[in-house]
Amino acid sequence: MTVAKAVISSSLSNSSTSSNTYIMYQWGGQRCWRPISLPVPKPNSQNLTITTRNRSLLIPRASGAPSESNNGGSSSKTKTKNKTIDPPPSASSSGNEKIDTSNKIQEEQEQKQKQQRRLDLVDVNPVGLGRRSRQLFDEVWRKFSGLGQISRTSRADERDALDALLIREGPMCEFVIPGAQNTTVLVVGATSSIGRIVVRKLMLRGYTVKALVRKADQEVVDMLPRSVEIVTGDVGDPATLYDAVQGCNKIIYCATARSTISGDLYRVDNRGIYNLTKSFQDYNNKMAQLRAGKSSKSKLTITKFKSPESVDGWEVRQGTYFQDVVSSKYDGGMDAKFEFTFTGDAVFSGYVFTRGGYVDLSKKLSLPLGRTLDRYEGLVLSVGGNGRSYILILEAGPLADTSQSKLYFSRFSTKAGFCRVRVPFSSFRPVKPDDPPLDPFLVHTLTIRFEPRRQKAVESRTGVKQDPRSFKLILEYVKALPTGQETDFILVSCTGSGIEPTRREQVLKAKRAGEESLRKSGLGYTIIRPGPLKEEPGGQRALIFDQGNRISQGISCADVADICVKALHDSTARNKSFDVCYEYIADQGKELYELVAHLPDKANNYLTPALSVLEKNT
Amino acid sequence: MAAMAWRLPTQLATPGKLHHHNDSKTTAYQSSFSWCRTLAADHLLPSSSSSSSSSRSTIIGTNTRRLVRCTARAGVGAVNLAPGTPVRPTSILVVGATGTLGRQIVRRALDEGYDVRCLVRPRPAPADFLRDWGATVVNADLSKPETIPATLVGIHTVIDCATGRPEEPIKTVDWEGKVALIQCAKAMGIQKFVFYSIHNCDKHPEVPLMEIKYCTEKFLQDSGLNHVIIRLCGFMQGIIGQYAVPILEEKSVWGTDAPTRIAYMDTQDVARLTFVALRNEKVNGKLLTFAGPRAWTTQEVITLCERFAGQEANVTTVPVSVLRVTRQLTRLFEWTNDVADRLAFSEVLSSDTVFSVPMNETFSLLGVDGKDIVTLEKYLQDYFTNILKKLKDLKAQSKQSDIYF
Repeated sequence: MTVAKAVISSSLSNSSTSSNTYIMYQWGGQRCWRPISLPVPKPNSQNLTITTRNRSLLIPRASGAPSESNNGGSSSKTKTKNKTIDPPPSASSSGNEKIDTSNKIQEEQEQKQKQQRRLDLVDVNPVGLGRRSRQLFDEVWRKFSGLGQISRTSRADERDALDALLIREGPMCEFVIPGAQNTTVLVVGATSSIGRIVVRKLMLRGYTVKALVRKADQEVVDMLPRSVEIVTGDVGDPATLYDAVQGCNKIIYCATARSTISGDLYRVDNRGIYNLTKSFQDYNNKMAQLRAGKSSKSKLTITKFKSPESVDGWEVRQGTYFQDVVSSKYDGGMDAKFEFTFTGDAVFSGYVFTRGGYVDLSKKLSLPLGRTLDRYEGLVLSVGGNGRSYILILEAGPLADTSQSKLYFSRFSTKAGFCRVRVPFSSFRPVKPDDPPLDPFLVHTLTIRFEPRRQKAVESRTGVKQDPRSFKLILEYVKALPTGQETDFILVSCTGSGIEPTRREQVLKAKRAGEESLRKSGLGYTIIRPGPLKEEPGGQRALIFDQGNRISQGISCADVADICVKALHDSTARNKSFDVCYEYIADQGKELYELVAHLPDKANNYLTPALSVLEKNT
Repeated sequence: MAAMAWRLPTQLATPGKLHHHNDSKTTAYQSSFSWCRTLAADHLLPSSSSSSSSSRSTIIGTNTRRLVRCTARAGVGAVNLAPGTPVRPTSILVVGATGTLGRQIVRRALDEGYDVRCLVRPRPAPADFLRDWGATVVNADLSKPETIPATLVGIHTVIDCATGRPEEPIKTVDWEGKVALIQCAKAMGIQKFVFYSIHNCDKHPEVPLMEIKYCTEKFLQDSGLNHVIIRLCGFMQGIIGQYAVPILEEKSVWGTDAPTRIAYMDTQDVARLTFVALRNEKVNGKLLTFAGPRAWTTQEVITLCERFAGQEANVTTVPVSVLRVTRQLTRLFEWTNDVADRLAFSEVLSSDTVFSVPMNETFSLLGVDGKDIVTLEKYLQDYFTNILKKLKDLKAQSKQSDIYF
């Protein structure tokens, strides 16, 4: 039938009179079609006959012909298009409008003969005719009666196509996020009050969602959307997490211990996060190895003090800030050494009694081939000792000419016992104030300096007051933290308000320990500390984002979930910890800081401006 | 009053048919749209069968048309709500969740953190997409009242955006079903009921659907339920199917020459404003009308579509008078009555009204910025720029099936 259409349209564009004859001729083969073959340019009078329903065969021409003849001249573009998609015989003629008319007519006649042959085979079949005419009638009747409606999408198949475009994945949907289709998010604690909403929000936005649940019983399965992939596992058991992190790009952790029993707290809020970050990093590394590369999310080991040889290359130096007589007069002497002890620790220890004196431990960095520090955003040191503070000095400049090197420093403090210290490159300041900010690419030497100034007096375990001028630093490793645009791991922690006071210490301790293990994992993190949670719809009240444990209000679960989902692709959310709660008026006398409220809404992206003023690496 | 004459006392209405299993089935054929039905007496107290549930009017005249009457009588809805487990204020039931508006309501609700239950009719292809988004789907049918109560357990708010399918009798869902739903809601202590109606439905009693909506409004107001009634004008989503797609596919577009202007609105905006209204205590019991920023005639809409699509439409203009004549014709036959009901909007179209209201008051009541409401130009522009390509793909696929012309 498409061929027949081509004949009509192309002949129409030539001359209307000839077209009539052709159509007459063509359709003349079939008795019943003859009266309608003339394209009547008055459609409305024809349409009226539809209602009587007894000449349903009229409708195809009535609907098709007027539209063709109405704008016979104007829409030649449409027609050429019709022709180009026609079968080969007409395609040769259609491309070129300038072909001689007689030529064309000839071709059309050939076509017609073909057409007639086809008509004989297929279209004389009364069943086929009846079905087609019914289709045509339905089509026209649908349109006609649709006019009576104010607005209603009426046909089922049309609706499906529209749904696909407008609602499910189309760009018209207000929820759709560009990167969502290719992102798999693991939601841990998907049945919690926040997790439930997080899962739904992710589904609405087109993410692929995996949910880690402890037991996949019917109640849990019913609670989650059907297309969520449910993984059974326990964050307390690292072996079960292997499956959970498969194929994941990001993790949202909104699980929390069900009780305040220390064992539960430790398992979920502290160890659980460590286990999960470790599994995730392992998975990232494994995937990177498959690509024969290194995971962009893994840390870069700068030095690791594991063997006696590992302390080679580290130099101990000493010096003073003032080179005058007075200081040398009070010189109490200083001494420092760096050694690998028989217990397997690399220990930097000594004392500095000289006023204004310091001792350095430094080494020229030798990074693996092809690695530069500009793809990293900070250093993490695993150290132990007696809780002194140290200065980390980076020397940066062209390797060939060390005289041009510039010095950058950053102070970090340790605590008694082992701890991991995170020193972002952004915290380094130039020693000479005029120097440009640190460019990690140029860093070639790392120095750890101890000086007796500004040391806090630390009580040792025995209660004996230690001399702040002596120090002991056990070095485990120095690693560089990878940089990245987006956050990899979103953790919903808590501010501590709203927990029963007797258990608050324990809960907070576990939560802080969990946060700590996330920070040092190398993953991009976002730690959200909401106020006491309320089960109410979100988006109602303005929110306050703050750092420093000052907030006093609650927040709805839905708002927390919204922050989680928004933070997934927000570069300002990377490596930040913040408190969030509903807007409130600060108490009298406590309005020391300015509260900036952000109204959550679909129209504005409130998270970026709210977070951009907050400190990173917290 | 003349109107009062048509109303029969409720006590006379068909005694003995009050068990709710067969109640509405028997009333489906001849009962009138009278919103003064007593509320849910049969559902609450099945034993007290002497009190009636529905008032009826007899067949009026020789014409077999259903008669629609609204009579001003307060419903008797003294329902004793026993204290029980408190329902969570975030639990809502969306009726008609698969519809154009309903699905947007569901999405919006889920996104705002509600626990959404969707009442959908049992069907061979279940509404999977609702489950995929995280809503709970329960099967029930408004035309079968016995299926309704179970769906309302533990629900705080009911949002009713259901309407009958075009091919089915307009009364079964839109009147019988709605009355049953409101009665159930009242009986089961639903704390808020949101009902969508049509703008100006009180001014066009000759249009069955509008008449029904108006009666339902009245019925709801008299039910004593805490409710919000939202009157809507027209959806932009409807324009896509009616005009934009045919223009893109180079099919003929059918339009009327009616001068009626409709203030189309994006259903996403309707959903957003609904939830703002839902949480606003000041709106309780009020009647709101949502309209788009500007009212458009059919011709203007088509022109706009042509401009964005960059091609001319094959417009087939059908005069409103033709529609009216058709309606009159179809009314003559019993079997075309549903068709006649569908065409009834031609009465509205020919009456030269403007389907719009100034929204300033509503915006200030809801605390919403009117600038956030999507305009039709913006909507269509988005549509054409974003979806042109996708539609072309679809068209290429569907080309094979379009062999008839």
